[in-house]
Amino acid sequence: MITYIIRRLLWLIPVILVVGAVTFILMHNTPGGPWDTDAERRQVDESTRKSLEAFYGLDKPLWRQFVAYMIGDFNNKGKFICGLPCGNFGPSYRQRGVPVQSILFRPPDGDDGNPKPWYYSRFGYSLRLGLMALVIAIVVGIPVGTIAALKQNTWVDYLSLLVATAGISVPNFVIAIFLIIIFASGLKWVSVVPRTWDTLSVWVLPATVLGFGTLAFTARLMRTSMLEVLRMDYIRTARAKGLAERVVVVIHMIKNALIPVITILGPALAGLVTGSFIIETMFAFPGMGRAYVQAISQRDYSLIMGTTLIYAVLVAVANLSVDFIYVLIDPRIRLEE
Amino acid sequence: MRKLFVVMGLLVLASMMLAACGAPAEPQTIVQTVVVAGTPEVQVVVATPEPEAKPAVLRVNTGAYPDVIDPQKSSFVNEIGHLKLIYTGLTALNEKLETVPGAAESWKFNDDATQLVFTLKKDLKYSDGSVLNAKRFEYAFMRNIDPATAGEYASITDEIVGAPEWRAADTTAADYDPEVFKAALGVKATHADGADCADYEDVACDTLTLTFSKPAPYFATIAGIWVGYPAKQENIEEGGDIWWTSSKYQIGNGPFIWKSVDPFVRSVFVPNPNYAGAAVPTYSIEYSYITDSAVAFEAYKNNEFDVVASVAEDLDAINADPDLAAQHMQWAGSCTIKIQFNLQPTWNGNPNPFADKKVREAFALAFNAEGWVKDVDGSLSSPTWTWIPPGYPGYDANSPIKYDVEAAKAALAAAGEEFNSAEKLNAMGLKMAFSDSARNRTRSEWLVANYKANLGVDIALDPVDPTTYTAIQKDPTTFPLLSRGGWCADYPDPQNWLSVYWRSDTTFASRPGYKNEEFDKLVNEADATVDPVKRLDLYKQAQQLLLADIPAAFGYNSLNHYLVKPWVKGIQTTPQDGMFPGDTAPWTISIDTSMIP
Repeated sequence: MITYIIRRLLWLIPVILVVGAVTFILMHNTPGGPWDTDAERRQVDESTRKSLEAFYGLDKPLWRQFVAYMIGDFNNKGKFICGLPCGNFGPSYRQRGVPVQSILFRPPDGDDGNPKPWYYSRFGYSLRLGLMALVIAIVVGIPVGTIAALKQNTWVDYLSLLVATAGISVPNFVIAIFLIIIFASGLKWVSVVPRTWDTLSVWVLPATVLGFGTLAFTARLMRTSMLEVLRMDYIRTARAKGLAERVVVVIHMIKNALIPVITILGPALAGLVTGSFIIETMFAFPGMGRAYVQAISQRDYSLIMGTTLIYAVLVAVANLSVDFIYVLIDPRIRLEE
Repeated sequence: MRKLFVVMGLLVLASMMLAACGAPAEPQTIVQTVVVAGTPEVQVVVATPEPEAKPAVLRVNTGAYPDVIDPQKSSFVNEIGHLKLIYTGLTALNEKLETVPGAAESWKFNDDATQLVFTLKKDLKYSDGSVLNAKRFEYAFMRNIDPATAGEYASITDEIVGAPEWRAADTTAADYDPEVFKAALGVKATHADGADCADYEDVACDTLTLTFSKPAPYFATIAGIWVGYPAKQENIEEGGDIWWTSSKYQIGNGPFIWKSVDPFVRSVFVPNPNYAGAAVPTYSIEYSYITDSAVAFEAYKNNEFDVVASVAEDLDAINADPDLAAQHMQWAGSCTIKIQFNLQPTWNGNPNPFADKKVREAFALAFNAEGWVKDVDGSLSSPTWTWIPPGYPGYDANSPIKYDVEAAKAALAAAGEEFNSAEKLNAMGLKMAFSDSARNRTRSEWLVANYKANLGVDIALDPVDPTTYTAIQKDPTTFPLLSRGGWCADYPDPQNWLSVYWRSDTTFASRPGYKNEEFDKLVNEADATVDPVKRLDLYKQAQQLLLADIPAAFGYNSLNHYLVKPWVKGIQTTPQDGMFPGDTAPWTISIDTSMIP
């Protein structure tokens, strides 16, 4: 088990290198730069541009910029500045002077002037929202899929299919504004613009919207999986043995039907944590997604690199977690093999 | 299975309870038990509490959260919109966009406008009560010029002696000494008698002298913009590179104090009792950062915002509701947008049709500006045929070009042999580049249809990623044949519209390839003329020359457009307002809290 974990973790190194290289090449080959402003505005003059490029090391050859980011480099005074291995994601080019790791991981100061707990950082917000969305997707999606399969070809099944299809096909910004109009403008249960994210109630709408697609997919997958399991010989055997229907469904059907669902949960979690840009925009949510998309449009190279690598690590770790969960629920699977 | 249902049910219940926690409080009836003194009886009194007085807060949705809130590094409207609440420069603007005293009580140019002396108001203080003297402004200008700051607007003070040299200095050179450049800089804080200032506590240090390398009679206006805001040196140094992210370091002299910030969520500003401007505001401000206009509109309707920008998509809903329609404010903005032509002699190795003035004239005359404003911008812009927009010094509505299809066709027919018909232009494969977004696609499609209908010319659309679009416009070799672009004022002076943009040695003019020596001569003379009347006349002449050259089809001016709640009173708008109506003179605004539901 330990060997397996170490081996998988070591594989992260080439994965990060490749993801980093591809991202680096793509962003540097895209026209434009971090100090381009609106065409209607005064542009950064040549002297300032040179100063900025020198400060951020953009005047060095591309290969050296890449090595400086991924490993480290000597600055003008001959001091070695450690890069990614030391948790240094570089300074943001647009949020002048702010290190990328601060943008993503540093919580803002509280009223007492001290930093709030880590989960108030952008990463913390995204992680919390992603987890909450995943919980909603699992807690609602799995029962809905299960019931739909057990009540196949009844109105319950058709309704769940309708919801699932809508969840997959309707864009989440449409669902978001729809829910805002109903629950905030209409019923006034929550405010349209949350005054603080310290109240759990304000998380319900964004987490529901974010998790709705995964919920729908989970429900459909669970339904399909359950229908397959329903026809298995061991289910017929269990019933023939006179087991209670509750035991047949929970112990024999759901547990086996969960395997394909769990397969998607790892990537789903990574997707939920990383894919909340629209939700963040609609709900003014202070997560990572907005920073990422904004960084791309602003050519904030170090922030693009940092966020991409964090997402890559998240996906890898989520997949690794799924492998462990497989072992827990299916004794036929062995990690060592 | 039953357990599962129980869990689900509990979850739904919990969600409902949590949601209910956020419900607004209703007025309640209080039942109090009162022991009346001197009597053995206990009376039960039923009373309805007085509604709590509502705080005077202006709640504004500003859209995107700023990237950097540093006076000497900021450059975007939303960044400046924060800074102008916290700080005040040496000069300020009034509602007529006239340059009026800010921190400076008065200023005086020498005879040839190569020196400008500011005298500060007496007893100026920062919001924390500390002394604000001329040395603070000296530091601000020096920091703006210092290449270590590398501010995006650093070049705006290049008229100051020694500024371009210091900015271009090789800071990595072994012999680089910033003190040498500082000493040579034309920025000097002194006492009124010329004696050197001691330090930042020196209250007699009330004079700032700026010396220019060329006449700069417009510089009193530039001295009031954000690059000259007096952020405290000790706070910048103590806070390091990220000093600007914390409201505790942003101690200013503006109308408001930045009380707190929750990044990307909310900023709170409260009145600065030490503000030395026209009046201390009577209300606080809350900035929120919702970038989705549909959500902001819902929040406005839900009385969660007092001010939001209106957008074209919401216009039907606004106009259909008499209350919302009455709350919709529109006034002249700070930008002129044009259909810009590539003026280089060749394009893609072939003769460039837009190098022919008659072709440009045809395209300018054929642009239906009124139609554009109505069809595309939903009347959220206003048509123009000139360059400097209304409300700005130098505005002149006279133009040789007006929408006229017949005249446009005649102009095309009078063009050079190679380009004098739609067929010949069509054979060249004309293209219009645009920054790719759904809205810009609609705009560009309208433009293409306009030219097809009026001139019979086929123009292909060339969508480009927004940052790439900016990049290709910066290079004369890639400057699009046809595109949409414009200029928004940095400060209200014709020099900013004409000399900064169209003089042939500027990047803006040289990219499309505009050059007119007579125009250059006129603006150079105007830039050096101290007499404001004569100066304005020279700029007017220069603008007429520009319009006659038709380097672009001057199409429309931006309008500022906001929804404003009726309890926000006393707004005095200017085209330079950036974040909310009246933010150039925010002390005129008041909140009638009795009207807030």
